[in-house]
This record gives sequence, C-alpha cells and structure tokens, in this order.
Amino acid sequence: MKFLTNSLAKKMWLTVTAAIIITILYSYLLSYLFYEKIYVDNVRDSLLTEGRSLASEYHGGALTEDIRKKIEWYNSKSETEIFIVSNPRELSACLPFEIDYQTLIGKSEREELLKGIPVEKLGYEKRFDRNIMGVIIPLLDDNRLQGIIYLYVPLAKISEITRDFAYLWLAAAAVFTVISITLGTMLVKKLTRPLLDMKDAAEHVSQGNYDVHLKIDSKDEIGQLANAFNYMSSSIRKEDEKKREFLANVSHELRTPISYVKGYSEAIISGMEKSEEDRKKYLQLILRESRRMERLVGDLLDLSKLESDEYKLEKMPLPLAQLIEDAIEKYKPVLREKNVDLQYRLNPEVIINGDEGRIEQVIQNIMDNSIRYTADGRICIRLSQERDQCLIEIEDTGIGISEEHLSKIKQRFYRVNKGRTRSDGGTGLGLAIAEKLVKLHQGELTVFSELNKGTTVRIMLPLLELK
Amino acid sequence: MSKKMYGLFFLWIIAAFLTSCSEKKQPAIPEDISFAATVNIKDMTISFVDLKKKELVGEWSMEKPYTGALILPDNDSILLYGKHLETADLYSLKEGKMIDSWETGEGIVNGILIDTNEIVLADQHLNKIRFFDLNGEEEKQVESEIDPLTLLESREKNKLFVLSFNHKKMGIIDLKSKVKSGEFTIHPSAAGAWLNEKNGEIWVGGHGEGVEIEQNIHVYDEETGKLKKKIPAASMPINFLGQENQVYVLSHGSNMLYKINESGEETASVSIAANPFEMTFAAHKLLVAGYDSNDLHILDPESLKTLKSIKVGEGPFKIVIRESVK
Repeated sequence: MKFLTNSLAKKMWLTVTAAIIITILYSYLLSYLFYEKIYVDNVRDSLLTEGRSLASEYHGGALTEDIRKKIEWYNSKSETEIFIVSNPRELSACLPFEIDYQTLIGKSEREELLKGIPVEKLGYEKRFDRNIMGVIIPLLDDNRLQGIIYLYVPLAKISEITRDFAYLWLAAAAVFTVISITLGTMLVKKLTRPLLDMKDAAEHVSQGNYDVHLKIDSKDEIGQLANAFNYMSSSIRKEDEKKREFLANVSHELRTPISYVKGYSEAIISGMEKSEEDRKKYLQLILRESRRMERLVGDLLDLSKLESDEYKLEKMPLPLAQLIEDAIEKYKPVLREKNVDLQYRLNPEVIINGDEGRIEQVIQNIMDNSIRYTADGRICIRLSQERDQCLIEIEDTGIGISEEHLSKIKQRFYRVNKGRTRSDGGTGLGLAIAEKLVKLHQGELTVFSELNKGTTVRIMLPLLELK
Repeated sequence: MSKKMYGLFFLWIIAAFLTSCSEKKQPAIPEDISFAATVNIKDMTISFVDLKKKELVGEWSMEKPYTGALILPDNDSILLYGKHLETADLYSLKEGKMIDSWETGEGIVNGILIDTNEIVLADQHLNKIRFFDLNGEEEKQVESEIDPLTLLESREKNKLFVLSFNHKKMGIIDLKSKVKSGEFTIHPSAAGAWLNEKNGEIWVGGHGEGVEIEQNIHVYDEETGKLKKKIPAASMPINFLGQENQVYVLSHGSNMLYKINESGEETASVSIAANPFEMTFAAHKLLVAGYDSNDLHILDPESLKTLKSIKVGEGPFKIVIRESVK
C-alpha cells in the first residue's frame, strides 16, 4: 500500500481511476434499474392490453368451451403464459368457509376483480414456484365473477433480456474505462511534471546553485507556486550576493588598518625611524589604526546583534532634550577646534519611551558624521513635537551629498568618494546602525542633502504614550 | 360572560367525549314490521328489509365482525355472533342498542334455535356443541368432531345432526339427553343438509375438496349413514330448504337455485345473484342473498321468478327473519 501512496502522481492516479470506476458502476446500476423498471412496466402494459383484448371475447354467462379453446390456442402461439380459470374454488368463492386450500387468487384480489379491476402480480408465486410478472383480467357477468384470464411472463425471461443489455454495457464500460484511465494518466502526468521540476530546482538551490529559473507557463496554483519559487531563489541569490559583498567590504575595511599596523610595526622593528619623534609618530599611527579596528569590530558586533531577533531594547521614559544636551556636551571641544558653530533648540517637554544608551548612540553617530564633513560651518540641532511624534533634526553646513549617492548612503560601508580613505576615522557603519536603532524604536530616519550646501538628518520617534 | 361560555363549551366537549365512549346507538327497528335481516361480512353491517314493502328500512353499522345472527322468541332480541369474537352480543331491535353480552369465547360459527327454546351454538374453537338457555346461561357442552359447522334439527326424532366441515364426519346428538348418540362418515368439505324424513334420508351438500368442486348432493341413510345416491346439483350445493315434498337447493359455485322433489328429480332451476350462500323462507316467499352481488332476491317459490332484488350491505352471509305478530 505504501508503494501506491508514496507519490502525489500515484495518489492522483488512484483517485482519478477510483472515481472513473465508481462512476461507471454507479451508472450501470442506475441504468440497469431504470431499464428493468421500464421493461417491467412495458411488459405489464402489453399483458394488460393482451388480456383485455382476450377478455373482449367473453360475452357473459358461464364460460363456454369455445372461449377456452380460443385461449388455449392463443396460449400455444404466444410467448406469454395464458390460461383461463372458472373454478370458483380457485377464485376464492368459498372464502367465508375457510377451506384449507391455496387458491389462485386471494380475498382482496377477488374484491378487486369483482369491481372489474385487473390485478397485477410481481414477484414469487407459490402456485408456479417461480418469480413472475402477471396480470389477472376478470371475466364478469354483471356482478358474477365467472372466471379470470391469467397472463404471466416468468421474470427469468426479463432477466435474460437484461443480461444481453448487461453484456453490451460491460463491453462499452471496459472500453470507456481504458480510454478514460489512459487520458487520466496523461492528465496526472501533465499536472505533476511541474512539481517534479520544482523538486529538482529546489535540490539545485540547496546545493548552493541559485541560478535556477523554472519555465512554467500555466497560471494555475502550480504556476503561482513556480513563480513564488523563482522569486524565492532570486531573493536567496541577492541575499547571497549581499553577504559576499559585505564580507568583501569587511575584509577591505580591515585590510587598511592592518597594513598600517603591519607596515609601521615592521618599520620600528627594522629600525627605519630616524628619530625618537618618528618612532612616537609611528606608534601613534599604530594605536590609531588599532582603535579604528576596535571600533569597526565593535560596530559590526552591534550590527549583527541588532539584526538578530533576540535583540532587546531596555526601554524607559526618556526626556529627550536632556539626553541630547548631555550627548553634545563632549563634542564642544572638537567643534571649537574645527571652528564649527553649534546651535540648538530643544523642546524640554518631549519624552519618549526608549533605550537611553541606544538613542545616545544614534545621536552620536549622526553628530560624528556631521562634524566629520563640516569645517568652518554650523551645526544646528532641533527637537520638536509633531502631534504624537517627536522630530529630531540635525542640520549641518558641510560638504553635502549628491543625489545619486543619497539613496545608498544608509548601506553598510557605502562611501560617497570611493577613493577616500578612512583617515577621518569612520567605519561606514554609523548611519546603518543609527537607522536600525531608530527602526527598533518604531521610528523613521531620513536624510536630505544638497551637494556643497549641507545635510539634514531627520529622525521621527513616537512619543511616550501616557496611559 | 365569556367565562361562562367557555365553561359550557367545556362541558359540552366532555359530554360528547363521554357519550362517544358509551355503546353506540343503532337506528331502532319498529316492532310492527316483519323483516329479513342480512348479516354482511365485508362491510360489517346488518341490513333490515321490510318484507311487506320489500325495501330496506334500516342498516346497522357494527364495530365487531359478526358472521351470524338469531332472533330470540321474544321477537325483539337479536343474538349476534362471530368466529373471532369473545362474546355473543344481544341487541334489542326496538331500542337499537346492546342489552346483553354472553361470554362464549371465540369460535362460534353457527347457531340455531331448537324446538325446546334452547340455543345451540357450534364452537370450532372448543370443537363442541354448546347449549344455552334464552338468558345466556350455558346448560351443556357436547363433544363434536373437529370444526362443526352445519346444525340440523330433527324435530320428529328429537335429534341434532352436526356436520364437521373438514373431517368427513356427521355427528348425531340426542336432544333429550344431550349426549352424542352416534356418527357416520360422509364426504369432505360438507356444508348444508336437509332431512328427508319421509324417506329416512339425509341430503348433504358441500364445496368439494381441494381443487375438486362438489357437483352433487350426497344422500345418506339417516340411520345407517350409508351413501344411497348422488343427485347432481352443480356446482357447490351448500344450502337446503325443505318445503312440502320439495327441496330448494342453492349452489354457490354456479349461482344456481334448484327445485328438487323428494325422489331427487329436478323440477325447476334458475340462475340467481352472484355467489349466493344463504337462502330462507319468509311470508311465503323465497329469499336468496348474493354474497358478491350484495343483494337480497325475493322469489316466487313456485315459478322461481325474481319478484324484487334489494341492495343490502356488502357480503350478506346470513339471513334471519322476524315475522311480526302484531
């Protein structure tokens, strides 16, 4: 049995075949019943007609020898069994006397016949010891039941005729079965082939070959499944590419500081420095690059944590103005050094439900970027409330970003100027992390910029809901 | 007001319910008419035919399947019995209601009133002949052959002849001592008999056994039980009526009525009714009931001409006569 049900094609084939066979059997049964009923009705009608026409030979009085002879002669010529009975005993004439005799007709039948109504018989008759279809026609002289004409056909004859019919049916049914099962098998194959193709394709994908594309034209469920499969495999491919790119980026980002560290440490070991001052400078460089690596690794770690589902924010009500003020406090020396003017206008009433450390990280990442690309300009921070949200705007008058880069600026390791080194200290992950964190707070981060004029970062965050 | 109306209505309903439970009242039959009553098996009715006016004067619709009846000497009580009934019920004709019920048990198929004002019932359940007085007190039971049916009283010899329907026996009971005094073997499926006292013969009819149909009257010696001769009377002669050296014989198989003299010669015959079982004399007329034709024929006994035929209930099986004395 398992052998038969271990594939969808076999199951479908079994279903189709069973349906065909059940249909054929059922229709055979039905038509057999109808045929028999129609045939029996037909036989009864013809017996009635025959009987009535024979009864018209009777013209009252006792039954004459003449009419008996006529009926006998007719019986010898007819397929139907016909006989005439005038014995009052057989006609249950002695009924109230309870005579111990199995009469040809019973009490109720005699009553019917006395009213001139023919009696019909269908089934087993003890008198003939067989199944019959019969009709009894009364021969009435006024209200005297002088006799009856009994006409019957053994039911075996009827079943003989239905047997012929059954053979014909059987032959036709066999041909029909073969044809419909063949067609059914073809149909099942056609339906299940795309599924087999999909199975093969899925195996390819699981082996790391993402270039499969199913060519299925049908628009039905299987076609839709194939389309979904194609979409899925292309998504996997894209994701795979992203992963490769990311790894390439990470190794690239690491290679620069490593080569610095390697080069300067080799220089120191081989005594290439000319003075103590140079040596110090080299060591400074090594330290700087090591820090950068540390930051990079830290950021990557943060990013991978943020992307995993388990990452939990430790939310609490935060007065945002205070937090921003504290965060920018440490930038003041740097800003003064770079001659950047800092302005801020913070609404002190804004309170959000957020993770203090993470929100501070967002502000820091954006401030880092703004300070990094702004010299002799101005940075303006605004905090305001807009209906049920708050808006943080950090605007600078830095170098700005051209439109073509703006859409990709939030991607990891994306650089506006590919040739630029990371000498300015950024890891290329700051904005990506900031956006991730804002999203985790159900907020939105957007960047507006114009080349050589400045950049504005807008962060929308939901306010703390007061219950 | 409306409460009162409801109360009245309720009372009326209860009254209707209670009266429907009590014995059904039948149309009264006046004392001053002579009638022939037919007990009709098929529709369970009793039809009363006024013999003077020769018309139907009343019909009783019964709740039990009565198959026979007897008029008691008071000329008002009619005793109704049936094979499948536990009781024989006595009705008053003038009141049209049941006045008594005799606990006979099932099996009563025939009953006659004999000369001694006793009622003799043939019981096929107990296979006994049972004697009752007019008050319904059972006086005596006499063993009979299985299935006693026809009862024939010989007033001259104070004997009762009992025909057993299925057992080829004729039993003789002495009416004085009410003991079985003899029996002899007869033909099968015997029914109907006449005592030809002049010749010391007993004529017995019948239905015939099995597929055979009785075509003859069997004439037995009254004393010895010896079969003396057969008189043709096709077919199924089952009812006899003796009258002044003549006997009328009714054959239900061929719907024939024969008039036969004492020596067995047919003097007249007529085809009558459909499947007639029952025949009797009343007011110098011959009455024949057609079981299938549901009618009562009134014939002139001499010419055998039908004077009138009257429709009665379905399946008349027994005729009883009351001749008014008033």
